[in-house]
Amino acid sequence: MFSTELVIQTAISGVMIGVLYALMALGITFIYSIMRMVNWAMGEFYMVGSYLQYMLVAWALGPELWWLAILISTAGVFVLGLVVQWGLIKPIFKKPPELRDDYATVVTLALLLFLRSIATGLAGPNQFTPGSNLPIVMVGPMPLAGARVAAFLFALAALAIFWAVLRYTWYGLALRAASQSRVGVQTAGIDVLSVDRVAFGIGVALAGLAGALLAPVFLVFPTNGMITTVKGFEIVVIGGLGSIPGALIAGVLLGLMESFGAAFVDSAYQNIYGFILVIVILVLRPTGLFGERGREA
Amino acid sequence: MRKFGILLAAGLVAASVAAQAQDIGIGLDIPLSAPGDAAGGQLIRRGAEIGIDTVNAAGGVLGKKLKLFVTDSQSTPQMGVANYRRLVSEDKVVAVTGMFHSSVAIGINEVAKEMGVPTLAVQASASDITAKHYDIAFRTHAVDPVRVAAWMEFIKKKGFKKVSILAETTDYGIGLTDETIAQNKSGNFGIEIQKITFDNKATDFSAQLLQVKAFKPDLVLNIAVGTPVDLIMDQATTVGLLPATPMLISYDAPTRPQYWQLHAKNGDGIYFIAYYSPKAPLSDIGKTFAATYKEKYKEDPVYGALNGYGAIMIIADGLKAAGSADPKALIKALETGTFKSWPDAPVTFPRADGVYWHNWVPPVLIMQYTKPMQDWKEADVVVAYSKK
Repeated sequence: MFSTELVIQTAISGVMIGVLYALMALGITFIYSIMRMVNWAMGEFYMVGSYLQYMLVAWALGPELWWLAILISTAGVFVLGLVVQWGLIKPIFKKPPELRDDYATVVTLALLLFLRSIATGLAGPNQFTPGSNLPIVMVGPMPLAGARVAAFLFALAALAIFWAVLRYTWYGLALRAASQSRVGVQTAGIDVLSVDRVAFGIGVALAGLAGALLAPVFLVFPTNGMITTVKGFEIVVIGGLGSIPGALIAGVLLGLMESFGAAFVDSAYQNIYGFILVIVILVLRPTGLFGERGREA
Repeated sequence: MRKFGILLAAGLVAASVAAQAQDIGIGLDIPLSAPGDAAGGQLIRRGAEIGIDTVNAAGGVLGKKLKLFVTDSQSTPQMGVANYRRLVSEDKVVAVTGMFHSSVAIGINEVAKEMGVPTLAVQASASDITAKHYDIAFRTHAVDPVRVAAWMEFIKKKGFKKVSILAETTDYGIGLTDETIAQNKSGNFGIEIQKITFDNKATDFSAQLLQVKAFKPDLVLNIAVGTPVDLIMDQATTVGLLPATPMLISYDAPTRPQYWQLHAKNGDGIYFIAYYSPKAPLSDIGKTFAATYKEKYKEDPVYGALNGYGAIMIIADGLKAAGSADPKALIKALETGTFKSWPDAPVTFPRADGVYWHNWVPPVLIMQYTKPMQDWKEADVVVAYSKK
């Protein structure tokens, strides 16, 4: 059973899924690093992205223009994020800072239930798939669905663009500054609530992108973001809250751990291997692989 | 003005309480969200709602209207048990039906045997649901031994020697896997079986399917429920298992209208279990139901909807026979009566031996799609198995 081919196939499978997990985690960690709040409804933005992808491919653009549908779906979720931040999140930041976590938790959990109910009400509990015309691709000895390879490449490109924007643009500098000190950027004349809006939009758009990319692979239904969100939070803990390289490396680590565990230990516990990794990291390095200990005034 | 508001509110509450006092409540616990098979739950709900409307349109039962209380089990026993307690304690239902997932039905029955309100499982197959011989436990569905006997006959007929079982780690998946291994041994089939289990919340089955591919089976038994059924099919196609290696899906999910939307490219050739022959006649009330369903939902009813409807009709007839809405009287009536449901055959719940206790078992068929986009009613019947 321990053939070299199976080991290589398992490794490829783990890396592929890990990068896609990382995309989700990146959205969570990015929003947290700027706004210091956890968005519990990330999985529902993933779900919205997947439904947009399905509707665009099935009803408007067709399978040939799947890539355009992905861009539109991601943009759609970005706009939804801006609206949600303006209507639901921004008012929280006008409250005393010590209550923000509580409000953010309640508001995003309510949003989770609202978006899930809307999806069930409009489309029913059934599953959908946007389908894919992309052929099966051989990556080494591993046959992979074209949609999964495309999702992997899109995810890598999105991560690279995200990193470049943060690293080389003025707005990226503002975002990085806000992640270091919200008071500091305000004293430098930057509207921190405007930065929040864009950060929230980008963060949920990353989840929406993951949902759109994975729609033909993991199907479209009202609770399809649930498992990906759990993986995202696991990765955030493993990689370190607020660390972008940490999200990518932890995503790949989680993907590999799950794949090898399922293939060579026992597949019944596939979703438990990630938690074992989380526990090990918390014991050895409580701030995560790349996280830094917070400073409080 | 304030006094008027209080009076109005009190009046509304009193009217509501009075209306409730006129109704006989029936609980329907079904999966309506993941990880449960929400589409399966919705089909049962549609059937049950039409059943309630049919009974009420005919004057109700014992001079009262029936009222359906629907709860979402999410396929988790803890949610199912909490729902059952609420249905019995707060909604005062006289019976709880639905129960698509075996783990939920088993969990509920453990509480129901103490609380005394009967359960009627319509699409949960694990042996323990009725094999424990609880007074409250009833079922109108194919049990594990019958389903496994059907696919063992199929395996023998096809001459398969190596079988991979991909099963979810639930009472349903584990029960069917253990039963398959047991019947393989007791029946001296001599089949080499590979057993792989998975969490029903998993989405990526690449690692499991690579193991299956390395085993080179003659048949893959897909013992999943809900989304994993479809994910396994798609991912098996990617790794090259489908269409070369036959796959048998362990229940009737492929009969649903969504099947070909999800599997336009890889749905052809799939074997699946069904619980009645589409060529077999329906009873009079079954025909009326099918016509009502088609008019309302613009599609033919499948087994889940038929059985959801049948459960309501059986409970309604049981209440009439009992002459009372007392759960104990209902249990007695169900045990001793003969009931009409959607099949053109009498339905009974005798205190029979083993798993057949309080259990009406439909025939089990193994069918195969032989061309793309085929109507399930036109699919080939490969094996038709009835309880011996």
